[in-house]
Amino acid sequence: MSALAHIGGSPSGTSTTAAPEPTKRGGMAAYLLLLPGLIWLLVFFIAPLVQLATVSLQSQFPGYPGYYYRNVDFGNYGRAIVEYWPHFVRSLLFAGLATFFAFVLAYPLAYAMAFKAGKWRGVMMICVIAPFFTSFILRTIAWRQILSDEGPVVSVLNFLHVLPGGHITETWVAVVAGLTYNFLPFMVLPIYASLERADPKIIEAGGDLYANGFTTFRTVTLPMSMPGVLAGTLLTFIPAAGDYVNAELLGSDISTKMVGNGIESQFFKVLGGYPIAAALSFTLMAVILALVFLYVRRYGTEELL
Amino acid sequence: MAEFRAAKGDLVLENVTKSFTNFTAVDDLSMTVPRGAFFALLGPSGCGKTTTLRMVAGLEQPTSGRVLIGDTDLTGSRPYERPVNTVFQSYALFPHLTVRDNVAFGPKRRGAKDAQAQADATLALVQLTHLAGRKPTQLSGGQQQRVAVARALVNHPEVLLLDEPLGALDLKLRREMQVELKRIQTEVGLTFVHVTHDQEEAMTMADTVAVMNLGKIEQMGAPEVLYDLPRTKFVANFLGQSNLLSGHVDDTDGEHIIVSAAHHKLRLRKSRAAAGSGDIAFGVRPEKTRIHNTDPGASAAGNSIGPGTLLDVSFTGVATQYLVDVPDAGRWAVYEQNLDLDRIDSRPGDTVWISWDPGHAFGVRP
Repeated sequence: MSALAHIGGSPSGTSTTAAPEPTKRGGMAAYLLLLPGLIWLLVFFIAPLVQLATVSLQSQFPGYPGYYYRNVDFGNYGRAIVEYWPHFVRSLLFAGLATFFAFVLAYPLAYAMAFKAGKWRGVMMICVIAPFFTSFILRTIAWRQILSDEGPVVSVLNFLHVLPGGHITETWVAVVAGLTYNFLPFMVLPIYASLERADPKIIEAGGDLYANGFTTFRTVTLPMSMPGVLAGTLLTFIPAAGDYVNAELLGSDISTKMVGNGIESQFFKVLGGYPIAAALSFTLMAVILALVFLYVRRYGTEELL
Repeated sequence: MAEFRAAKGDLVLENVTKSFTNFTAVDDLSMTVPRGAFFALLGPSGCGKTTTLRMVAGLEQPTSGRVLIGDTDLTGSRPYERPVNTVFQSYALFPHLTVRDNVAFGPKRRGAKDAQAQADATLALVQLTHLAGRKPTQLSGGQQQRVAVARALVNHPEVLLLDEPLGALDLKLRREMQVELKRIQTEVGLTFVHVTHDQEEAMTMADTVAVMNLGKIEQMGAPEVLYDLPRTKFVANFLGQSNLLSGHVDDTDGEHIIVSAAHHKLRLRKSRAAAGSGDIAFGVRPEKTRIHNTDPGASAAGNSIGPGTLLDVSFTGVATQYLVDVPDAGRWAVYEQNLDLDRIDSRPGDTVWISWDPGHAFGVRP
């Protein structure tokens, strides 16, 4: 009986106050807020990029190694590609393999975290993020020890006589393993986010509409997590393709070098290598951009395009 | 993998119990939903109605008891093996598929060659043909709701389950969808089991309503019957409002029993009392009562209560609502349609009496 309303002795006579007029200042504020970021990008991203572009077109003074003059010499690009095309192939191949392995490892992990972990979800999340508390270089050096000839992995594999060549370091396997490890969290986190955001009822609906467990995964769960998969593969592939630390610390001196190592040696180890290094950087950027563009065009969702 | 079970017939729940770690959601529930019925499970949140629905869908398995359609025992089978489809509360549409592909999902999984054509036909039924190419996120709530209905209906399930299907819609749209769902149900002739906490929604659409509380069915029947003659205190108050007064059966008088409560002797038809003797709660609906500013006298003996003090008067346009404090009988509500030309001009504080037609009173278990 409590539902009965009170007597409306006198209806409240206060008129509603008019909503404040939207002012022009709102528009200005948006630009002002953008300004610091734009200035930062201009000084630390656009300007160096322009500088790098001019360097990539410079020519050497004949007979004066290390001295350049301003020029528009596209030959640097030709020379860079001729000399370093195997590095390009390796960069894309190793990054592609690392992306594939990271996906294979990350998807079940992210799935378990999103749907099966229960109270362990937080612990698993910390385990995924914890490596970031240590330096990237240190962790990669640690991998050199894990994969060393006397280390546990190689010892066991050699004991079982299943390791051709007898060691892992100095091979492409070590480089790909290092890349996979180092970029794994960048694959796990976006996939986890997209799975975690998915309404479990939608997955139940798959079962309700005559799809068994596997079919529901294939037709509902996986497609719903595609934005995360796409983000994860990009976040893994792009930095992995430009990486040089793993190839430097885990690979061999010749046969596993990636483009990053080429750029590094042209910049710091070869006298007069600046234009070639700059040309390599731009070529790598262009190749990655083109691949990413094709990839997103093919598999992209509205959220990313 | 087990086979799809093409069962036909009534939906039967036999002594179904569902226990979770520390509570029992559904407690020894048995019911039969006749084939082709529009059946509503009505109850407050946490009463076990959604768990019951999920057990029919196969999304939960009962701790004990059986779920059958016709003679086919579905207990233990997976959701995709049952001729049952669900319209989920949040619609649960596949966000990566178009409206047409959402609807065609079920037929495709069952290997239908004409899945797209079936989807188009069902979209026509819910009047969404023009939106077939859109993604669910591009639709309004009401449109998404109709896609969810179409996605379930296209499979011609033996039983269609609706889990609070109108909960997310605003009042106007809810009314429209109530009519729409009723039309679709009449048109396709399938068994609809509708879970809701909205008593008006249940009464408007369903031909049978089961009121659930604490994992059990309190009372089941046609909406008019449930409303007119509730059998438990819970039903009397959950379905509409009731003035209830605890007392005990004192005497009988022909077709009536006399209930003694709060210094009054109240008459109640035997056929409208849940008990013929002992303790009973006397009830009468607020809109079945009238208010008087003089003692209605001996003519209304047994069918009136008072004097009481008028606490509150609210004029709502179509009716006037009174709240009366009757000594030892608690607060009584009276809804009077403004039929009288010269209405009594009562104010809070006045002394009033309440009377009713004896045929409207009912007695429920205390």
